[in-house]
Amino acid sequence: MREAMTPNERLWSAIRLEKPDRVPIVPILLPEPAARLIGLPLASVARDGRLAVDAAFRVFDEYGGWENPYPAAYTPLGIQIANIFPMRVRIPGKDLGENDVYQVDEQEILTPEDYDRIAEVGTDLFYYDEYLWRITDIRRDELRAAVATFIGGYEYFIAECTRRDTRPFFGGYSLHPFFMLSLMRSLVPFTQDLYYNPEPVERALRRMTADVIAKQIPIIKRSGLNLWTLVEERASGALYPPAIADRFWWPYTRQMVDACWSEGIVTVFHLDQCWDRNLAQFRQLPRGSAVIELDSTTNIFAAKEALRGHLCLHGDVPAALLSVGTPKDVASYCKRLIDEVGRDGGFILGSGCSVPVDVRPENFRSMIETGKGYELLRT
Amino acid sequence: MARQLSARIAAGENPLALLEACRQGMTLVGERYQQGTYFLSELLLAAESFKAAAAMLEPHLAASRGIEPRGRVVLATLKGDIHDLGKNILATLLRAQGFEVHDLGVDVPAAVLVRKVEEIQPQFVGFSALLTTVFQSMKQAADLLERAGLRNRIKLMVGGGVTTSSVKEYVGADFQSTDAMDGVNFCLDVTAGRRV
Repeated sequence: MREAMTPNERLWSAIRLEKPDRVPIVPILLPEPAARLIGLPLASVARDGRLAVDAAFRVFDEYGGWENPYPAAYTPLGIQIANIFPMRVRIPGKDLGENDVYQVDEQEILTPEDYDRIAEVGTDLFYYDEYLWRITDIRRDELRAAVATFIGGYEYFIAECTRRDTRPFFGGYSLHPFFMLSLMRSLVPFTQDLYYNPEPVERALRRMTADVIAKQIPIIKRSGLNLWTLVEERASGALYPPAIADRFWWPYTRQMVDACWSEGIVTVFHLDQCWDRNLAQFRQLPRGSAVIELDSTTNIFAAKEALRGHLCLHGDVPAALLSVGTPKDVASYCKRLIDEVGRDGGFILGSGCSVPVDVRPENFRSMIETGKGYELLRT
Repeated sequence: MARQLSARIAAGENPLALLEACRQGMTLVGERYQQGTYFLSELLLAAESFKAAAAMLEPHLAASRGIEPRGRVVLATLKGDIHDLGKNILATLLRAQGFEVHDLGVDVPAAVLVRKVEEIQPQFVGFSALLTTVFQSMKQAADLLERAGLRNRIKLMVGGGVTTSSVKEYVGADFQSTDAMDGVNFCLDVTAGRRV
């Protein structure tokens, strides 16, 4: 059987919980694995955002393409200055060897007093006036140019998508305020704050949630994509009891999802960690208002049972499988996903979190080709 | 907790008995975590409290020196990864169970690890990982341990969010988990002869 849908129709068919002609494929391919797959030193894509985009699209072209390129137009410095990952970074070619993977360095940077500062002045003002200078090596007079370079890299990414008649996977991206505070404060002190000094955390969360909504909705609308990614890797039932999640995570999550959904925008939850205990809660979201992106730590087959006909799932070929497995193992896992999670639609095939840097090229190809061919060849 | 402990130390209570009480508390928290009534956050907070209590008691424990630990453990996050949250939790939980833990830190070269294992002669060696790129370093370290004739004297453990049973096979480890308490139980079982 031949393909009967465009990539974008296929993606949105899955998001709307329909059964497309075949499963849509969206691997989270970031510049680092892309560089490895085409033999570039990791330091080169860490230095140059345009080269990072080129690397991602060379892989996209060489492996035959897939539904939507993941917007991975960044450098380690870019994620800092664009307030994407609020942490110190060790950069290949600068702090690390030419072929080492860049690393985020989690430290206790945010102080307990900062919660109220955020609540008072707002997320961006706090970040750019105070916080950024605790984590970055760049000087204040270099910031404007660095931001312009970052934006230029993203515009180049959009242009490369257009040139291929494809569209980015999403049009907005933010860390969940809970996750952002946890990274800024670091896991243990943040957890102590949640239990022993919760009020300032709540004040910061309230302000940050309002800021995310006010900032992201116009960005997403301008992109014309009606899809944004909300990243949360720390709030799951594997780490916190329901009392903590119900007080500090879920209400703010609902505010963001509902605000977006009222504008016709779907939220892609990028959920690392095990969310097995939280799956039922996601059923409270409006039908079709979100995509649940899992990293293989959550049981995606149980997630399907919990959310069947309600929310689309995205994932979750495990990083370890792509890294140390065989093409046959990868194909077999993808087929199981397609058969069990994608049988009645509402499923996007992808990597569990990002494609690992040490992905075997034959395994990556196996994931893409199984996704494209498995259902069409058997009908 | 700190105030209460200070008062009891000042009142002349046996520091070894106080440490043992803290260990029992940690064991209870660990059990409740395994039963699913406590969450990782609570294990984390208890581990922090235990660490603080152990540090307060340490200067008063001179008399107890010479007590044999339950076993010796070397832990490391190997070259290419600087994440250490999981490893730190495991180290604290093992100490609470009476193990002598040598935490080599993060980004540790395989050769340094092997030298430390030669020197410390542990029963257990644990590698922690958040990034798949460290699998290669883990395998390299395991091979070096083999070549140095040390591999059959230790139980090799791998852990961390990205590890799976296939990573255990790839590295040639004896044990793998994504859960620190499982690692503690493995060490307890081996030292008690419940597992070989």
